[in-house]
Amino acid sequence: MLVLTRRPGEGIVIGDNITIKIIEVKGGGIRIGIDAPRETKIYRQEVYDRIRQENIEATRWDMADLDILSDDLAGRTVKK
Amino acid sequence: MKKITTRFGEIEYDPANIIHFPEGLVGLEDLHDFIVMPNKKKGPLFWIQCVDHPEYAFVVTDPTNFFLDYAVPEPGEEILERLKAGKNSQLFVLAIVTVHPDQKITLNLKAPLFFAPESNRAVQVILENAPYDVRTPLPEVNASET
Repeated sequence: MLVLTRRPGEGIVIGDNITIKIIEVKGGGIRIGIDAPRETKIYRQEVYDRIRQENIEATRWDMADLDILSDDLAGRTVKK
Repeated sequence: MKKITTRFGEIEYDPANIIHFPEGLVGLEDLHDFIVMPNKKKGPLFWIQCVDHPEYAFVVTDPTNFFLDYAVPEPGEEILERLKAGKNSQLFVLAIVTVHPDQKITLNLKAPLFFAPESNRAVQVILENAPYDVRTPLPEVNASET
């Protein structure tokens, strides 16, 4: 991992079109500003990791589960 | 028709019915092409089978089957572009279902799927600022209502 030291107001340029700027350092937190093309997906890492983990968990089911659950849930849906 | 061997046996599908996830799923970016499998049983659940990696399949549902007030923000332009959809295109919102070892299920309301039937494309979006949980249990029902 590349490790750099930056001060508030300084930035980092990644590739041709991503800029990260240190806005302020306050109370143990660091505010960061990011300029990136609209199609670049930017997530807080813990949120991304959590979704990734849940997606993987969600692949662990078998057909018997689906049968049983479908029986349990038949008629369980709210009326629209 | 094409054939793949999945965890559930051999499946035959028509490539014309493929739903394409241009970016895969979050953390599973290699999973691009899925087919919707008809559930043999009635009910709100169905499943999507990955075609390019046949070991992957997901149970999905329309979350408003269980959560009438579930509201996702209007997808932004960048999402519509990925879906090759316009502002007035019909979009469906689906939630991935996690089946737990005790056979309880939770819905991932934090990262729903947008599906555009017009283009047969879908994306998974993360609703970072919405108050929804990755593991939302089904609402309780009273015994008298079941």
